[in-house]
Amino acid sequence: MKTEDKQGMKTHTADFDIVVIGGGHAGVEAALAAVRMGRRAAIVTMDPQKLALMSCNPAIGGIGKSQLVKEVDALGGLMGVATDGTGIQFRRLNLSRGPAVWSTRAQADRIGYNAFVVEYVAKQKNLEVIDGVAGEILVDSGRAIGVRLEDGRSVSARAVVVASGTFLGGLIHIGEKHFPAGRIGEQAAYQLSESFRALGFEISRLKTGTPPRLDGRTIDWSVCEIQPGDEPIPFFSSRSRRGSFTQTPCHLTATSEKTREIIDANKHRSPIFSGQITSRGPRYCPSIEDKFHRFADKPKHHIFLEPEGNGTDEVYPNGFSTALPEEVQREAIRTVIGLEGVTVTRPGYAVEYDYCPSHQIKPSLETRRIQGLFFAGQINGTSGYEEAAAQGIMAGINAALYCVNEPAFILDRSEAYIGVMIDDLITRSITEPYRMFTSRAEYRLALREDNARDRLNHHARRLGLISDAESDLFLKLDSDTRVTVALLAKTRVKVADLNRLSSQLKKRDSLTLAELIRQPDLELNELLPVLVRHTDGQRDGMESLERAAIQIRYQGYIDKQQREIDRYKKLEHDRIPSDFVFQSVHGLKTEAREKLSRFRPVSVGQAGRIEGVTPSDMAVLSVYLKRHRETARADK
Amino acid sequence: MKGRTASRADTQDTIAAIITPPGEGGIAAVRVAGSKSRSVLARHFSAKHSDDAEPHPFLMRLGYFKSLDGEILDEVMAVFMPEGRSYTGLEQIEIFCHGGRQVVKKILDEILKGDIRAAEPGEFTRLAFENGRIDLSRAEAVAEIIAAETEVSYRASREHLLGNYSEHIDMLRTELIGVLSEVEASIDFTEDAPEVGADSRKLLILVDSLVTKLSALAETYRGGRIISEGYTIVIGGRPNAGKSSLFNLLLRKERALVTPTPGTTRDYLLERIDLDGYTVNLIDTAGLRQGGGKIEREGQRLAKGMIAKADLVIWVVDLSKQNWAKLLTLDIESLGSAHILLLGNKIDIVKKAASLSLSASQKIIGASCKTGIGLSKLHREIVGRIEKSMPDLTSGLVVTSARHRQKLKESIRHLRLARTKIEGSVSPELVAYDLRTAVSSLGEITGKVYTEQVLGRIFSRFCIGK
Repeated sequence: MKTEDKQGMKTHTADFDIVVIGGGHAGVEAALAAVRMGRRAAIVTMDPQKLALMSCNPAIGGIGKSQLVKEVDALGGLMGVATDGTGIQFRRLNLSRGPAVWSTRAQADRIGYNAFVVEYVAKQKNLEVIDGVAGEILVDSGRAIGVRLEDGRSVSARAVVVASGTFLGGLIHIGEKHFPAGRIGEQAAYQLSESFRALGFEISRLKTGTPPRLDGRTIDWSVCEIQPGDEPIPFFSSRSRRGSFTQTPCHLTATSEKTREIIDANKHRSPIFSGQITSRGPRYCPSIEDKFHRFADKPKHHIFLEPEGNGTDEVYPNGFSTALPEEVQREAIRTVIGLEGVTVTRPGYAVEYDYCPSHQIKPSLETRRIQGLFFAGQINGTSGYEEAAAQGIMAGINAALYCVNEPAFILDRSEAYIGVMIDDLITRSITEPYRMFTSRAEYRLALREDNARDRLNHHARRLGLISDAESDLFLKLDSDTRVTVALLAKTRVKVADLNRLSSQLKKRDSLTLAELIRQPDLELNELLPVLVRHTDGQRDGMESLERAAIQIRYQGYIDKQQREIDRYKKLEHDRIPSDFVFQSVHGLKTEAREKLSRFRPVSVGQAGRIEGVTPSDMAVLSVYLKRHRETARADK
Repeated sequence: MKGRTASRADTQDTIAAIITPPGEGGIAAVRVAGSKSRSVLARHFSAKHSDDAEPHPFLMRLGYFKSLDGEILDEVMAVFMPEGRSYTGLEQIEIFCHGGRQVVKKILDEILKGDIRAAEPGEFTRLAFENGRIDLSRAEAVAEIIAAETEVSYRASREHLLGNYSEHIDMLRTELIGVLSEVEASIDFTEDAPEVGADSRKLLILVDSLVTKLSALAETYRGGRIISEGYTIVIGGRPNAGKSSLFNLLLRKERALVTPTPGTTRDYLLERIDLDGYTVNLIDTAGLRQGGGKIEREGQRLAKGMIAKADLVIWVVDLSKQNWAKLLTLDIESLGSAHILLLGNKIDIVKKAASLSLSASQKIIGASCKTGIGLSKLHREIVGRIEKSMPDLTSGLVVTSARHRQKLKESIRHLRLARTKIEGSVSPELVAYDLRTAVSSLGEITGKVYTEQVLGRIFSRFCIGK
């Protein structure tokens, strides 16, 4: 039966516009984005009380990742707001490294965050949470039409987003033991995995791990170094309304000589070394046994003791991820300074899970194989809550656009870290769980925390992801910033009034604040108090003052980078049609032809980022594309 | 706001390259395409006939190609083609010269000193195609041409001479990536591994070593020129110091007129000689002094130009003058940093060979053009200098392509910028910006694109991860 809805689209009746499999950070953002855009959505999850749970460390943000959080926030996402609302400690990292890499990191309240999201989701109209285990993607003539649950129920939808995390074919390893599970104590989704195989998807395995959890009451805090939060509290979102509060500190300690002895003596019992696990884990997040093995000359390793929340005594020993047998974990952790009498509340483990190598998705995150089927998060080979949330929101937006036959929303490498990540996914063979680093962004100076909204606000407004009022608030900030830039350019200060800074400004009596900001050897974060003093800046004006200072400081680089971006866009605009047959292009080298057929780049620029594609291949390709276009035009 | 579409004018650089095949031929040509082509003519071309002063489309003009210093490099024919009517479809000029391979390379080098980029292999043909100057039915052939042109070029760099040129570039690039990964690690992993922090002293040493190596490689471009054009020695000094006597001695014939009157040589004399198997262009110049007639002053101006461009300057000092040391100190200062060899002439008159030096680093060879004392020592010294400036041919590492040299120079320039920033404690993100640019310039020589190498290096060097 066909019906016509408000937007005038012809469609089969379905229970929902979009059904999302998985209620983690990707799934929640996907469903919320779709709902904001006026679609009806459902989240299928094994436990409706565990939405947006932090399976691993209780922290949001960090270097490279915080930029993703700010972008998700600029697109109307929940992660920034939920973190601000429940976080127990906030810090700004990399202050001496330059504003483009300043990064916010929050210690989250694991239970508080989860409760915040559950409550937020419950309040949404047009969003339903279905308690069940997804077993099969329902497909009709190459289009996804819904999900069958393991208990036999079916949910029909016009688009399906899969955000299944480590649950897809999840297998947990602790020492010699291994058993199917998505998280410890929770079942895995094996039928769903089979469903992807049956649909013809290429599936591979990745591995990740988590440390044991500790009872904070049994830790000797007096021997650990304290790590307090920063003041004023650096919140993520401009939409947060939380005031100042007493922050909970983290602590830093280290392994001892004895730790190394125990780990070395038992290394053979870790599934990573025994051969029980063959899939690749992340190099940037090695297990403690791997660290002692690979960096044998390092006598000790740092362990960060992070509280899991204010309402719990549980502590997360960051840096002690392990898959050693439980009794060895217990023995080894008690050799860490300050943990001599600690009680382990839950063991650490390694988990292997299925993912679909990401050459199988398009830049919209829709799969190439099945229309209306979108992948987000670990199924694409990534790792991390922020990476998941960023893909989730993009998958949700694109599923929503797909439902109304609108063109996909794609961010490129010069616009957002989100663009860098998705482009990396579709042009590379992932060999380890993918995590964001600022070094992955070639236009790093242009992709900053402070300008996430400058880059994305217009998209968010156009797509209906944020209200006009929220958008206007940003436009107000933007115009305030311009006023501040002008003010800084004309306000002169006497060098003699600059106290400590003056020694570095010899040979002049006075200068404008803008000139002061441009002094390359002065750190901007140290200048900010000076600027506040000389502009009568109030607390409210801090954000525009900081934005103005960054703009002035980087103007030269931003102009240079803009020229690079213009050149980059030229190649990105040389589009490759989806039906283009690479095999028929003479003059391409065999390796290039195979790689191009596998990754199916959407532009000549993207083709050039695929390993094995040379500049001469790109030139040949663009010649053929031009003929292809002209022929197509002539046929019309 | 952001994301405006890039128009052609924004992104299309003006590019230049030699378009005639390598090897000696009667005529060689340079093509320049892009919006700045015409300004190349204005800068470098002067028409032989005054009624030809302005370029007209498709009109071949006879004239001279001049370097930026005003030196005439060759008599050339030049033609201007307006936008839309050239091979590439862009504004374009072509310059035809007669002087063989070395002259055409020199002409290209001069052009590239402006805001003009060396064309990538196959780029003219690709532009021609993109701008609709080549029929679509010929697309396949064009693709083949481009593939062939680029392949030849990249293979040439891969298999350059004895085969390890590209390996050498890759090695330098890997070394550079090593430096970059130190800086990147100090940005991306301060949280995971607080001990990771780039040690600026160590970074400076690494950057300096790279600059030295890259400069040495870029310098081989000059070495390649020495092989084909010869090594240029200019004899300079104050009037009547004995320059022409030395010139005649080295030539083994009476070529220059020698008189006791200061200022006898007013023009300059050039002779090509063979010195232990090396081709040497030997130039005798007018003595440098205040005053003198109009012709002599013109000769002195020429002499200064010659000295500035010489591979070696033999500066002749008249030791019989009481105040020679004082004058010499003044002269050395005004000569700047040219490669100088000091020759103290007329030692037979003063008869005190001991302690002939200005300072520890500036030794003077004592000699007499009259008696022949010290001349064999001078000969050995000259040959030694020539050998030092010759490229190491056994390693095959000689840069012959102007494009490669431009990329090398770009890389060096950004390394120097990075160095200044490291020294000035500028934040690492800006240091990384220059290092990244330096890496990609090198990558463009062998056609390597940015890869995961940086992260790979970081993970293998540092214990990253909480």
